[in-house]
Amino acid sequence: MRASRRLRAVALAYLALLLVLPVGMVFYRTFEHGVAAAWAAVTTPDAIHAFWLTLLMVAVAVPANTVFGIGCALVLVRQRFPGKALLNSLVDVPFAVSPVVVGLALVLLYGRAGWFGTWLADHGIQVIFAPLGMILATIFISLPFVVREVVPVLREVGSEQEEAASTLGASPWQAFWRVTLPSIRWGVAYGVILTTARALGEFGAVSVVSGKLAGQTETLPIHVEQAFQNFDLAGAYSASVVLAALALLTVLSMNLIKREEVTR
Amino acid sequence: MSIEVVGVSKRFGDFLALDDVSLNVRDGSLTALLGPSGSGKSTLLRVIAGLELPDSGTVHIRGADTTHVPAQRRGVGFVFQHYAAFKHMTVRDNVGFGLSIRKRPRAEIRERVDQLLELVHLSGFAHRYPAQLSGGQRQRMALARALAVEPAVLLLDEPFGALDANVRKELREWLRDLHERVHVTTVFVTHDQEEAMEVAEQIVVMNEARVAQVAPPRELYEHPGSEFVMRFVGPVAEMGNELVRPHDIEILPLPDWGAEEAMVRRVNHLGFEVRVELETTDGRRVAVQVTRARAVELELEAGQIVWLRPDHRGALRANRSAA
Repeated sequence: MRASRRLRAVALAYLALLLVLPVGMVFYRTFEHGVAAAWAAVTTPDAIHAFWLTLLMVAVAVPANTVFGIGCALVLVRQRFPGKALLNSLVDVPFAVSPVVVGLALVLLYGRAGWFGTWLADHGIQVIFAPLGMILATIFISLPFVVREVVPVLREVGSEQEEAASTLGASPWQAFWRVTLPSIRWGVAYGVILTTARALGEFGAVSVVSGKLAGQTETLPIHVEQAFQNFDLAGAYSASVVLAALALLTVLSMNLIKREEVTR
Repeated sequence: MSIEVVGVSKRFGDFLALDDVSLNVRDGSLTALLGPSGSGKSTLLRVIAGLELPDSGTVHIRGADTTHVPAQRRGVGFVFQHYAAFKHMTVRDNVGFGLSIRKRPRAEIRERVDQLLELVHLSGFAHRYPAQLSGGQRQRMALARALAVEPAVLLLDEPFGALDANVRKELREWLRDLHERVHVTTVFVTHDQEEAMEVAEQIVVMNEARVAQVAPPRELYEHPGSEFVMRFVGPVAEMGNELVRPHDIEILPLPDWGAEEAMVRRVNHLGFEVRVELETTDGRRVAVQVTRARAVELELEAGQIVWLRPDHRGALRANRSAA
């Protein structure tokens, strides 16, 4: 009894010190000079641009990785082929590799001196120091989440329901939409939320390929860092709060889903 | 013939699941595929359904070659051991699934589902989810779902295997009744000989990837074609080099021609029948089944010396090399 209480105290203190206090500090600093000042700081053209660019990253990376993630999970669970173990490990590479390295790799591939760089430049497509490269980096970084959330669910559901659907006359496509997808929907939802959170907050890989051009290639995390470097503390804090609010929203929707799942 | 399987073989890696299997199932019949686990009976059923592609051989359903027709177009109803209920759909949507895939009008689906729910005694459960049903109810729902599309053949893979003994017994009787009313050609897989005997008109015994014997229940019991079948479909006693059913051994109080001396070790009264365990002079254990009246007449008790005489008409010569 006493030991468990002590353990709880340690856990809470740990969270307070490392999580609540810093985040609370950001909120406090942001609204230190009133809401109006904070509002003014997040409505500068550069901040607004950064906000929309961040949402663009999410809007492209999340659907792309959801479709890929479900497909990849199906392949990993349902099929047997040589090289399956390799594919399985490859999916985890974005977890293992430092985001900065990912960014550098993209520069080496798509940059002016890179393998595809000249060809792309000849065709008027700019990847590095442009939103396209940032989207690629975001997709790469947030790739494993849907796969990793869906694989165990798919394994647990098994293939009997799909077989039943096929004996009842459903085509593979119909069986997927009407039986498989509904039965893995919670796994997909978790994966989507984690992907969103990662895509929102990514700094390392995106910053390497972005060139950090204010009003052009700045996402919110980069905007925060740039503002901080330029001693624009009000701008840095308030943009942080926007990011934190977006993150909070994703965590909240995750909890809503959890509750929904339990009541089922 | 409703189902014709000719020379079907199927291998999973190193494991030979079906070895040149052929089988005919009559229109409107109720057939059991009986065998120990790993004998290939489930694989055969899945090959007929199109859920498994045979390595060689052909499958005809109602005269049409369906060997390479995908499951979705074979017109078979399939019932799985673990129900395979669509967990995210209500009972109504589960049963109506096949019809809705076929894009039948709503009103028609509704009417048909109502009829089927009535047939499987689930009328009050249309709006429940599978998780809110018992195992027996789920399996009846799965049956209604399979019947909804009016399949050419109904295939059931150990349909009662996951249910407890009471529900199982009830569902067996119910399946027979259903078959009498619906008359769809039905094949079910089981490893339980009693279940096969009780439900089926025709039993296909499988062993080690091959068909061991095809016969009606009574013939199978009385004239097993091999030692394996004899042992698998009922209890056996070994008398000399013969295999005999325990009720085909007569217990005599005095020595007689062709009778072997034995000592009673134990007498078990199981209601109408009495099971007597005996030991012969050369130390073999033999179990014999007699009626209660006969046991009383012989005043059987442990330690008593009696003589055993097998009825050779139902006996089978034991073959020690192939069990």
